[in-house]
Amino acid sequence: MEDKKPLSPHIQIYRWHISSLVSISHRITGIINIIGITLICFLSCWLILGETNYTLINFFFNSFFGKFIVLGLVWSFSFQILSEIRHLIMDMGYGFELQTTRLTGLIVIFGSFLFTVAIYLIGRNFF
Amino acid sequence: MAQISLPKNSEVNKGKYFKDKTGSKNIRKINVYRWDPSTEENPRIDTYEVDMDNCPSKVLDILNKIKNEIDPTLAYRRSCAHGVCGSCAMNMGGKNGLACTKPHSEIDGDIDIYPLPHLKVKRDLIGDLDGLYKQYESIEPWLKNNSTKETTEIFQSKEDRAKLDGAYECIMCACCSTSCPSYWWNGDKYLGPAVLLQAYRWIVDSRDDERKARLKKVADELKLYRCHTILNCTSACPKGLNPAKAIAEIKKMLATANV
Repeated sequence: MEDKKPLSPHIQIYRWHISSLVSISHRITGIINIIGITLICFLSCWLILGETNYTLINFFFNSFFGKFIVLGLVWSFSFQILSEIRHLIMDMGYGFELQTTRLTGLIVIFGSFLFTVAIYLIGRNFF
Repeated sequence: MAQISLPKNSEVNKGKYFKDKTGSKNIRKINVYRWDPSTEENPRIDTYEVDMDNCPSKVLDILNKIKNEIDPTLAYRRSCAHGVCGSCAMNMGGKNGLACTKPHSEIDGDIDIYPLPHLKVKRDLIGDLDGLYKQYESIEPWLKNNSTKETTEIFQSKEDRAKLDGAYECIMCACCSTSCPSYWWNGDKYLGPAVLLQAYRWIVDSRDDERKARLKKVADELKLYRCHTILNCTSACPKGLNPAKAIAEIKKMLATANV
């Protein structure tokens, strides 16, 4: 009798809202960043080993796929930093009202894209 | 580790379709989670066409209408119908709330009604809350005062009394705890927002002498710190309380006080 009781649906049916989206994205970007940092470390080590490696890495990062990875990492780091600041403010006990969490969540989401574009433009000597 | 998908015996199938018999022009489709413990079948979603011209404003009114006029086999908890008892907590339109205070006009399109998420289902919309009540018991939700005799009054200033506002109003409907993904994945160890809000309520009560012991008791990696401020709890609370903030306050007390 006990064992055959079904489990009611949870994540399949629960509606997403800004705060839960920011929370799950914070985790995902965290994992991406760890992988990203490891990748950057390996590439830097590789650079030391010779000039041919440099041209190869240069070629890779100028390809479409390479650019996608770089921009993706820039976004992921931007998101993580903004979301972490949000977390720090919350750890101090502020910003728990529903309207405020929605607003700060939106700032994190839009801010991360804004940061990405800004960093891209700075990198291209746009300013 | 979190199990995202449902176990085999919990997968939801398509159920029966109850066509409207009143001939009304104002029809709404209501999809309700059903499970009958007397059969070996999986849970199913039954769809009811409900005449909205003769239906009061809340989701509970729809359920009453279905039970009284269409399908008497539907089972759900309800009692006061005024948002005080917390019996009719369920998931409506993808969000937890009390059926008796949730206006159906706030939900767009067809209305999906499920039991509270990630609970063992006893029947239809009735979830098993035993685990939550055990956890509630574990925080010892009663006044512990050693200094005064049972017969004397314990005074409390207005300021100290005000600290309980936003915590004592909780009706333990479990909308918050069952909306929390952390509670879904670690419900056996993590206390969850409802119980932690009550823990907070006794920690800040000036008449209670066990503040330190209470704080020590919840200061646990799993019991307390599984809260990752997802804030599903606060957005679900039908009484407009803020369990997430209460949990943050407990964390703050633990970080700043010498416990």
